[in-house]
Amino acid sequence: MNIFFRELRSNLKSLLIWSGILILFNFVGFSKFSAFYENPQLLTVLDSMPPALISSLNMNAFNLTTVTGFFGIMIIYFNLILSISAAMWGSDIISKEERDRTVEFSLTLPVTRGRLVTAKIAAVVVNCIVLLLVTWGSTVIFAQKYQPDSEFYRFVSITMLTVLLLQMIFMALGVFLGCAMKKHKQSGSIAVSILLVSYFISIITGLSKDLDFLKYFTPFKYFEPAVLLRESKLEPTFVGLSLVLIAVSIAGAYLAYSKRDLYS
Amino acid sequence: MNIIETDHLTKYYGKARGIIDVSLNVEEGEIFGFIGPNGAGKSTTIRLFLSLIYPTKGDARIFGKDCIKFGPEIRQEIGYLPSEVFYYEGMKVLDLLEYSASFYKKDCSKRLFELADLMELDLKRRIDDLSYGNKKKVGIVQGLLHQPKLIILDEPTSGLDPLMQQKFFNLIREEHDRGATVFFSSHILGEVQRLCNRVAIIKEGSIIDIQDIKTLQKNNYKKIQITADGMDETRFNIDGVSNIEKMDGMISFFYKGDINTITRLISSEKIADLTVEDLTLEEIFMHYYE
Repeated sequence: MNIFFRELRSNLKSLLIWSGILILFNFVGFSKFSAFYENPQLLTVLDSMPPALISSLNMNAFNLTTVTGFFGIMIIYFNLILSISAAMWGSDIISKEERDRTVEFSLTLPVTRGRLVTAKIAAVVVNCIVLLLVTWGSTVIFAQKYQPDSEFYRFVSITMLTVLLLQMIFMALGVFLGCAMKKHKQSGSIAVSILLVSYFISIITGLSKDLDFLKYFTPFKYFEPAVLLRESKLEPTFVGLSLVLIAVSIAGAYLAYSKRDLYS
Repeated sequence: MNIIETDHLTKYYGKARGIIDVSLNVEEGEIFGFIGPNGAGKSTTIRLFLSLIYPTKGDARIFGKDCIKFGPEIRQEIGYLPSEVFYYEGMKVLDLLEYSASFYKKDCSKRLFELADLMELDLKRRIDDLSYGNKKKVGIVQGLLHQPKLIILDEPTSGLDPLMQQKFFNLIREEHDRGATVFFSSHILGEVQRLCNRVAIIKEGSIIDIQDIKTLQKNNYKKIQITADGMDETRFNIDGVSNIEKMDGMISFFYKGDINTITRLISSEKIADLTVEDLTLEEIFMHYYE
């Protein structure tokens, strides 16, 4: 538990900064929304925009003049911000020990490498959940002004669940890269690069029906906000796929870390 | 009983040589010196003991247990002081030491404060604000607070002022009297000679000699420099003298043998100045082991 609490403390500043960014982002978003709210003119503007752009921003499925529809658009950004933070935290919490040359302290104490990794993953998971709750809470608070209905709350809850899965997938990827890569300095940027590439794949997937198979390769396509709104349930195939990705990355991380030479 | 045993311990970093076929054993209660120039493989050997890295070939056992399989268990009883200490920044010294203490099964708080007091360490300061020497002091307290059975020191005196070095050596002697075994790696021959019972000499990754410190001292060369006007350097050409050189009225040579013989010879002359020094490690490598 001592490692876990120390990591939480040392990550607190970063958590506060990310929370601040999200609250600010949500605040600005809702301020803009106040112009769209129950404004029929907006719909005519949207009709004149190119369909590819509309679809890549998820705008075809949602009525932007309602608070539920507006949240449907915001999901893309929440997905990106929360998964990027998770990937960076995941890789950093492992690789910083080599970067700061503290391995000669932390791993010469009587601990197994496995115990160290477990405590660090636990700390990152807590950070991810707190950031998710900040997102959730600020969304609900900012939405109050627009009298959200029960559909809104249901939609937000199920969406947050999918964001959590996305966070865990990229956190696990980050941890794996931090544990496995000899060039530990690059693990963070590679984790974020993989994330961005998979995000772009998710945009391409939406452009044509022929590219539909690509959705298996990008976690950003596992759960479509439009489907979530319509059906209010998670596709079991993709929940399963997410869990497999997480499990494989974490298992790989333990395996790679226990076999690696650690020195700075 | 052997505290440390290694058997053909070999480590390559990819193709780069770490250490090759290092076989040595350190007995209980010994202060064992490990000397060699930078890059000879001293730190590699120590990292293998601590299972930070894994051997390419051979194995190492501490307290009779394999270093890799029983790593965490063994490290309960090891105190390690690295040549350069790196700690989590943003922590206070006391927080860091208590964090470190929390990993050991025994209560370390009394010893922690004793040691901090002895090393004149300010526990309230932040790690990031400390100078190199003060960080080293934190390292000493951190390495010794759990009263380990085996103390591993990697060039421990760098960064410490002479007064602190003295205190540190006294501390190590006390720990030794308490029953601790010490593995002392250094490139400074003088401090190894002062403290150790036995010494292993490592060069380019291989052990070239393991000797009793008394034997080493008896066999040891002295470097003697004499300043005198118009003296004939051939006068010193006796048994045990080598490498005689004469430059600007200064005669220098290496001497190995009974020190009284040479001092008598020197005192029979009228000289202006005299220096007697131990050979540096490099000079030993160049002349003693050729």
